[in-house]
Amino acid sequence: MAILEVEKLTKYFGGVAALKDVSFDIPQKQICGFIGPNGAGKTTLFSVITGAHRPSGGRVQLHGKDITGMDSAALVKKGVARTHQVVRPFKAMTVIENVQVAVHYGRRAVTRTSAAREHAMEALKLVSLDHKAPLMASALSLGEQKRLEVARALATAPELLLLDEICGGLTGAETRAMMELLHRVREGGTTIMYVEHDMKAIMAVCDRITVLNFGQKLAEGKPEDIQNDASVIEAYLGKTDFGSKKRA
Amino acid sequence: MTRPQNLSGWLKLVLPWLLFAALLLLPATGPSDNIIRLLFLTAVWTTTGLGWNLIGGMTGQVSFGFAVFFGLGAYTTALFMQYGHTPYFGFVGAAAAAMVASFFIGLPTFRLRGPYFVIATIGVTEAVRVIMNNLEITGGASGYRITENKPFNPLEHYYTAIAAVALAVLVSTIIANSKFGLALRAIKQDQDAAADLGVNPYTSKLWIHAIAAGLTGIAGGIYARRAAFFYPGDVFAFSTGISILLMPVIGGIGTVWGPVLGGVIFVIVEEQISVKFPNFHLLIYGSLLIIIILLEPDGLLGLLRRLFRLFPHQQAKTRLAGDPG
Repeated sequence: MAILEVEKLTKYFGGVAALKDVSFDIPQKQICGFIGPNGAGKTTLFSVITGAHRPSGGRVQLHGKDITGMDSAALVKKGVARTHQVVRPFKAMTVIENVQVAVHYGRRAVTRTSAAREHAMEALKLVSLDHKAPLMASALSLGEQKRLEVARALATAPELLLLDEICGGLTGAETRAMMELLHRVREGGTTIMYVEHDMKAIMAVCDRITVLNFGQKLAEGKPEDIQNDASVIEAYLGKTDFGSKKRA
Repeated sequence: MTRPQNLSGWLKLVLPWLLFAALLLLPATGPSDNIIRLLFLTAVWTTTGLGWNLIGGMTGQVSFGFAVFFGLGAYTTALFMQYGHTPYFGFVGAAAAAMVASFFIGLPTFRLRGPYFVIATIGVTEAVRVIMNNLEITGGASGYRITENKPFNPLEHYYTAIAAVALAVLVSTIIANSKFGLALRAIKQDQDAAADLGVNPYTSKLWIHAIAAGLTGIAGGIYARRAAFFYPGDVFAFSTGISILLMPVIGGIGTVWGPVLGGVIFVIVEEQISVKFPNFHLLIYGSLLIIIILLEPDGLLGLLRRLFRLFPHQQAKTRLAGDPG
């Protein structure tokens, strides 16, 4: 049963189609990767699904109910959370306060401060930031801020989590830890949609991959099939004239 | 609330109650009428500053239009008293009228991004002042007079004002320590990021604006009842809105006690210096603002905090009591 159904989603910025008739289903409890060259529409896709931008056309359904154009705050309460490629921590708040906001206003809607701090601490432990809890968010390194972004999204207790390039700027070890975390989150029952430029990371962690190019869906399938898909290779590397000549 | 962990934590908890008790007991020591009047004015203006601070300081939505709520509070209280109600019922009406007015400003403008809210607050102040100048049932530009059928009792006015400022401090403290306060701080820093965590910036701003307006309306009512005479060019003046904003900015924006400190300074400057040296007070405000904007955006409270940190004794203590790392 699909948790999210996207139907002919289209988004124009002026005359440019950032997304054109993109359709796909996200099955429950899977990690679904989205890849594509720069400007393929991956971030726009996330922004349209999570209500940051209103789509020009098409429909998004969560559990069979229409959520097209619903604002982000309402979607978080329905269990859809996202992270941003460019992190946006509340720098004048402590690390734990950053996460507390998500616990209070996320799907669980915890009211008591002490309970919220406990939940926030758990989320920080998941990304190994619990030792930085009392620090100001501005004191974190970029890699730590990326993890804080993930902790905040997790703290909203999402059913569907949209992650936009959470490994950019992380070290190899940090990336591996993040991939382990994604597996654990999925085992906890959360479905993940994942955009990443790091091909190794995304091929290793995803159950399915969708390839976007110029705002359109190019291919869809298991990671190993995508790696061998001729149209995908063409989109990334250009037409293989050299190979065809050799064969002739 | 959590139990304070060090000396400054205990001081923070105890000092407000000591201050409150001192203000309640002060009349027993037989102060002059002028002291009571000055404290009354300080309490009234501090209440408005605390109100403004909720939306302008904590939430980061700067308003130049709080004179509207102050003036509406004044007129509403006066009208309630005119029709035979007690002034205290009038203050409730004042709060309600100001809250309704806050929605008129907030509903259309909080949906928009950019400076629309700020601009709207300026426009609404001017519009309301012009309307009130021409509204005949309230006497138009020549003002409105309140008559009470009992002798003037400065202490009753004093205690009413102290109650109002205590309410404003209490409301500010509760909000600052609540999950709502946390959401407001998040909105101030990045409202899109806050929305991504489930906070609704639109409704949050509407409600905090209404609470801020309500407090300011009550202050307006208390002010008007003691003044007994007021006119639109006074209570609805643009400069009144600036004064309300000045107190939290000077004292310490976004904090609970900053506006209180700012209110004390404001009344001292207005009452003592502007009487002896006309227009000199504007120079003082200007200088204070320049110093604060350049050196210490957290106001005088931030400056005090920084000075205290200079004492090594204090520093060692906070390091011991503070969190590791």
